[in-house]
Amino acid sequence: MILLDTEVIPDWILFFGHFHPMLVHLPIGMLLMGMILYVFSKKEEVQRQTSIAPILWTTGIMALISCAMGWCLSLAGEYEGDTLKIHQWLGICLALCSLALAYMTQHWSQDAFMSRFFKPGLLLAFILVMWTGHLGGNLTHGSDYLTNYLPQPWRGWLGIAPREQATEEKGIQPIRIKNLQEALIFQDLIQPTLKQKCWSCHNAEKQKGKLRMDSPEYLMKGGANGEIIQAGNPAESDLIKRVLLDPSHEDHMPPKGKVYLTEDEIVLLQWWVKEGAHFNKKIINIPYDARIKSILAKYTQVGNQQEAYISPVLKENIPAATDADIEKLRKHHLLVIALSKEKSFLEVNAINAKQIGDKELQDLDGIKEQLVSLKLGGTNISDALLQQISSYPRLVHLQIDHTKISRQGLSYLSSLKHLETLNLVANAIDDQAVLELAKLPTLRKVYLWQSKVSDQGIKMLQKKMPKLIIDQGWKGKWPLDTLNIPIKKPE
Amino acid sequence: MNKIIQEAIQHEAQLATRRHFLSSLGTGLGSLALGSFLTNCSSDSGASFASPLSAKSSPKLGKAKSVIFLHMAGAPSQLELFDYKPSLAKFDGKECPPELLAGKKFAFIRGVPNLLGPKAHFEQRGQAGHWISDYLPHLASQADRVSFLKGMHTDQFNHAPAQLLMHTGSARLGRPSMGSWVSYGLGSENQNLPGFVVLASGGKNPDAGKSAWGSGFLPSIYQGVQCRSEGEPILFIQNPAGINSDIRKASIETINQINQETYQEFGDPETVARIAQYEMAYKMQSSVPEVMDINKEPAYIHEMYGTEPGKESFANNCLLARKLVEQGVRFVQLFDWGWDTHGTGLDGSVDYGLHQKCRQVDKAATALLLDLEQRGLLDETLVVWGGEFGRTPMQENREGKKLAYFGRDHHTEAFTMWLAGGGIKPGVSYGETDDLGYSTISGKTSVYDLQATILQCLGFNHEEFTYPFQGRNFRLTDVFGKVIDPILA
Repeated sequence: MILLDTEVIPDWILFFGHFHPMLVHLPIGMLLMGMILYVFSKKEEVQRQTSIAPILWTTGIMALISCAMGWCLSLAGEYEGDTLKIHQWLGICLALCSLALAYMTQHWSQDAFMSRFFKPGLLLAFILVMWTGHLGGNLTHGSDYLTNYLPQPWRGWLGIAPREQATEEKGIQPIRIKNLQEALIFQDLIQPTLKQKCWSCHNAEKQKGKLRMDSPEYLMKGGANGEIIQAGNPAESDLIKRVLLDPSHEDHMPPKGKVYLTEDEIVLLQWWVKEGAHFNKKIINIPYDARIKSILAKYTQVGNQQEAYISPVLKENIPAATDADIEKLRKHHLLVIALSKEKSFLEVNAINAKQIGDKELQDLDGIKEQLVSLKLGGTNISDALLQQISSYPRLVHLQIDHTKISRQGLSYLSSLKHLETLNLVANAIDDQAVLELAKLPTLRKVYLWQSKVSDQGIKMLQKKMPKLIIDQGWKGKWPLDTLNIPIKKPE
Repeated sequence: MNKIIQEAIQHEAQLATRRHFLSSLGTGLGSLALGSFLTNCSSDSGASFASPLSAKSSPKLGKAKSVIFLHMAGAPSQLELFDYKPSLAKFDGKECPPELLAGKKFAFIRGVPNLLGPKAHFEQRGQAGHWISDYLPHLASQADRVSFLKGMHTDQFNHAPAQLLMHTGSARLGRPSMGSWVSYGLGSENQNLPGFVVLASGGKNPDAGKSAWGSGFLPSIYQGVQCRSEGEPILFIQNPAGINSDIRKASIETINQINQETYQEFGDPETVARIAQYEMAYKMQSSVPEVMDINKEPAYIHEMYGTEPGKESFANNCLLARKLVEQGVRFVQLFDWGWDTHGTGLDGSVDYGLHQKCRQVDKAATALLLDLEQRGLLDETLVVWGGEFGRTPMQENREGKKLAYFGRDHHTEAFTMWLAGGGIKPGVSYGETDDLGYSTISGKTSVYDLQATILQCLGFNHEEFTYPFQGRNFRLTDVFGKVIDPILA
């Protein structure tokens, strides 16, 4: 700005500069205090010269000091553009306005003519303080900070584009390439990453280290430490060096507290610089190796790729079971435990109560809304229990191995809407009974060994439910017999 | 008489430390815990199992509920098992480039060693195309079930500190082990078994000793309980001749009553731990012989694991690990000794001794995965396999001499571990080493990252899972660690 770019700014200037964001809040508060005192006081009761005047004098002086520190801060060159200019001049106006108001209260409060100007003056100061403060906020946080979370109906009235759903949920939207044949390396691959991870501090309004990254020209121009990209030489490019530093290092970019680049993004960035940092080339016209190819494959995949499956039941929010109902079950030595502390879904496990039977388990009805996982392997349950639990709305895992379940019992399960895994190991289940499972469309995995089901029965079930994983246990033979081959001893 | 009374008063004063006094002024949590103990011990109504080991929920929904950590003590050679380096074979016998050695320290290598090519035959296995050598044929047949971390690194090049770092997050003594943390956070599902059990094979305990499963500053009820796989699983678990179970029960109740009085007098939380330990020991008298008995397992299970009942073997321990996890134990730690292949003897050579060691664990470790799978347990059990560090791409030249057998020295900069089961995306290979397998070039993961990932699978945020000690909150990963997302399901 005023100093030449080549000139080094002394540390002490920046030291005071960094006090600006803190100190500005003092005059703001004081000005408001002065105004409140003025509005709510009556001339007869309060000596304005002795109460409001000192407040406004301090306001003005603090505002002047803030202006000076703001100027120091601006020398660092991190902020530029019109917003800064307007903020600067408004701040100066505000300081002068406060001093003028202070002078008015001190000397003219008895003067009937002059004191008429006091109220409009206060109003002006109020507008100035709001406006300056808002611009200051825009400078530090970005101009969209204030309205970022504005709810929908109001957004439309103000003409702000609706928030994208994905950014709301995950913070950062994954980068997608629609057509690899046509995609441009910078525009479609590099720039979106820079936008997500770098632009918040290196843009038109804010230039940390005097660096802007929001256009190819600025990227190549570099910042306070010179150029950041040496086309063809990633090892010498500051852009690459800094993202590769250990995150605890002072010079690592993005700095602590911001979202770091992923490994894939770093590899792509290195590749782009190494191949010449082109801004207009198509991706397919640049040579790439297997590593880049696999990353590109990830970027071109459509939809939510390999999104980890989680039962829709577990995404619900449900009220917790009552302690009395849980305590009833614990009296039977059942282990009743929440799947996590976040939500109220329960697992019931008979690991300490193998003797339990249908009668005691009637108490399960108390927690039927919360019960997601039920482990009753090796207990004395019968088909009647399956009838009881067939109305449980959220049962996902059912483990009833080593029990005496029959076809009748399995037929009750068909009313379970969310059952995904079913452990039926060591039950007297035959080919007829196993076909009852075909009535469970949500079933993903069934454990079916040590039963009376024939290979034919398995085949029929698999035909009806092609996606169902049927675990038939270990077949009792290792496919390879290498252990008997002696190891050759070295000489 | 006066003298005796004075001595008693002095003794009491010594026991009531300032710290206990101050902490009992606070919330008095200890007394709450004790209260719940006593209701549990004295009545058979089973009204509440709120002992320090009762099962607890994780803060977040975790995929895994228990962990089996298979530690190959001594550190297996990644270059003979998983990290295939054809370029290293090309430079076999050539001198190691000096720039790789500059400023580096090794346990035994001195001067300029020669590079040593891989001594095993490698093939790509499964759909995922993992490179696994023919030393591990069984694991190779199940390659798509596991995920590899090929860019592991550590900062300790001696066994004991490296093992401590792996299991406690610190190379120095005094921190709680991973199993203790898990047992502290999740308790034990089985009211008659501890939350953390340790089994060792290979003829020796690991170099780090019992500290590798110690509870550090956590209450000592959370320390690992080591069971022997040969003979009585726990020494003196049977009642001595002439003492029946009722007498044992009565005496333990009396001891606990005295301990309870002591606790009320001095308020030392370790007394609570002691009471719980006596209780647990009594319960284990009936539960342990049953769960530790592999004789009753059917023949096909023995065939599957290659177990030999009555002997101390890794296979037996794998089967026991499955049985323990099935019974609700949260963390089972297996140590198998004898992987330290320096090349000083035939058994310590990478072309013979290592191959033999692999035969001892390959089938059993693979059987463990399959057996957990067929019981529906693999979805909620995390299995981890690895050593405390890796081995050098150079042949060891102890004292600057050429050794009689092919061996490799300790190596901190790159090694491989695999994970499978609850919370892990199968078939992923994360991390890559350079052409010589010397150091990691991408996907570098530290021991802390592994610990953070294990806790993540169990539903814990490693940065929030803390315990206050000496005025600050401690955590397993200290101030480090980043969850390795690419291998998580």
